Amino acid sequence: MQYCTHCRVKIKGENTVCPLCAGILDGKGDSNEEVFPFIPTIYQEFNLFIRVLILISIVVVVASFAVNIIFTKESRWSLPVAAGVMCMWVSLFFIIRKKNNIAKTILWQVGVISILSLIWDKSMGFIGWSIDYVIPSVCVLAMIVMAIGAKILKISVRDLIIYLLIDAIFGLVPAIFIIFGWLNVIFPSVICVASSIISLSALILFEGDNMKNELKKRMHI
Amino acid sequence: MAGRKPVEWVKLDNAAKIFPPTSNERDTKVFRFVCELRDVIDKSFLQEALDKTMPLFPFYRTVLRRGFFWYYFESTDLVPKVEEEYKLPCSMLYHPNRRNLLFEVTYYKNRINLEVYHALTDGTGALAFLKTLLYFYITIRYKDDFKDGFPVLDYDASISQKMDDSFLKHYTDNRIPKKVKITRAYRIQGRRFIDNRIKVIEGVMPVKDVLNLAHKYGATLTVYLTALFIKAIYKEMPARSRKYPIVISVPVNLRSYFPSVTARNFFATINVRYNFGTSGDKLEDIIEEVKDCFNRELTQEKLQAHMNKLSALEHNAFMRMVPLILKDTVLRFANSLNDRQITATLSNIGKITVSPQLAPYINIFSCFTSAKRPQIALCSFQDKLVVSFSSPFTGTDIQKNFFRFLTNESVPVVISTNIKEI
Repeated sequence: MQYCTHCRVKIKGENTVCPLCAGILDGKGDSNEEVFPFIPTIYQEFNLFIRVLILISIVVVVASFAVNIIFTKESRWSLPVAAGVMCMWVSLFFIIRKKNNIAKTILWQVGVISILSLIWDKSMGFIGWSIDYVIPSVCVLAMIVMAIGAKILKISVRDLIIYLLIDAIFGLVPAIFIIFGWLNVIFPSVICVASSIISLSALILFEGDNMKNELKKRMHI
Repeated sequence: MAGRKPVEWVKLDNAAKIFPPTSNERDTKVFRFVCELRDVIDKSFLQEALDKTMPLFPFYRTVLRRGFFWYYFESTDLVPKVEEEYKLPCSMLYHPNRRNLLFEVTYYKNRINLEVYHALTDGTGALAFLKTLLYFYITIRYKDDFKDGFPVLDYDASISQKMDDSFLKHYTDNRIPKKVKITRAYRIQGRRFIDNRIKVIEGVMPVKDVLNLAHKYGATLTVYLTALFIKAIYKEMPARSRKYPIVISVPVNLRSYFPSVTARNFFATINVRYNFGTSGDKLEDIIEEVKDCFNRELTQEKLQAHMNKLSALEHNAFMRMVPLILKDTVLRFANSLNDRQITATLSNIGKITVSPQLAPYINIFSCFTSAKRPQIALCSFQDKLVVSFSSPFTGTDIQKNFFRFLTNESVPVVISTNIKEI
């Protein structure tokens, strides 16, 4: 054991200086007395990837504005580029935030992509491609991915129920589009509503009790 | 079909509700109990002991999840695995959206470490778990020594008693409390470590010597060490901050005041205030003030009122209907208000006892917590008192002052620490 004459304390382990006063120690340290393992400083590695991605985004946006101003002054094509990059970040933000729960991530992406596509469609003069194709297909895609993903990753059905339920209910929304005749192309929405009804009924029939318990658990006040 | 069996779930107890929204990398709300044995730990025996302990504490086999209105614990199939210590002390155990157990058993040389997320239980609850684990570990590892009968496990509680939410049981009033005045306390500033690690300095000393010192001033051990802590902080306090009082937050085990043997949270905190602007800086003065404060605060009525105040919010119909996302923000804000009123924390786990047949295998017990501010945790076992100082700051002046007070009174102190470089 080492000893600090200023603090008058004995010190376990191998120390270069006194842990209290940073003074010189008497005696030789013994690493066998150590009560904590040495753990080197941890640097946040994850951030590097994000930082590189941010730099690439900035380069793309700035370069497109620059090229836009120099060569094609009459058009404004760099604005959609910037908007596109921003949309990617909105989507990525939710992926990173919810990264530990796959079903939740998928569901959030359904919401985010639906809203972003509506905004894009609207700002491009509302041709209708967002409600014609995008919204119904992300709903169906999410259902398929959740079902297959659960099998592959061995996630129990119970953990998925809520997300499948919300997705299936959201999948009924295109029915409104059909009823009000807002659509130019009808088949993606029909497929989406049909598969939502089927998956909802399957959920209620086979996982009804689980669903009730799950709702009770998650919604307890 | 998998998942047919309904999943068990329980609500968080009243004290636990503050922890999930406020824990992060800087303040993980994890605490550690250490038991140092005489021999080096054997991993497989420890795993076996842990496997035997788990059925007695079914509540510990849960993950923390977010509901729409509240957090809840959900039972899980995860099996705790014993590992050799590989992480920083008191690093994160609860990650939002990740499902993992809220405690961890590790070992290093002859130490068994139990790290627990505070939402799960408090010090007393964790200690009950650690003692059960030790009981099994020692009786398995040294089973030849117990040929003429096994010792008795001294924790006597049924599973429902262990799971008991004692706040719910003992609160009496659901009126929303009047506004409380917020008085700012002196707050210690300092440079932090780059990876938010805490600096733990553990001092082992004879309990008798410190008790004698405390008795010399007519004080109890907790009062005496609290006063020393206040004085140690005062010595480093810039003169312009002296208008703020030093406030030490002291957690109180409510099991000593209300009948309960729960293995979940059941504690309250009292604040011990000392103002150097208006009172003297002699140790005697501080001790008198701290003693008065303890006598004033530590009565059943005061603690009952404190508990009612906290429980009323939880039972308030309006608060309950607020979605969790908003609750999180509100609780975070409330927590930061509360933080402004506290300088440091001192928690005394007290005297730890095990059955006499197990005692010869055990050297010391120790405990410390993750710290947003300097924090002292103390516990004693047999003739040894362990004072653990945990701090997020790189500086060690307060620790130095504190331990030097003791060594100047010729108490022999043995120090160990987790961070070597200054």
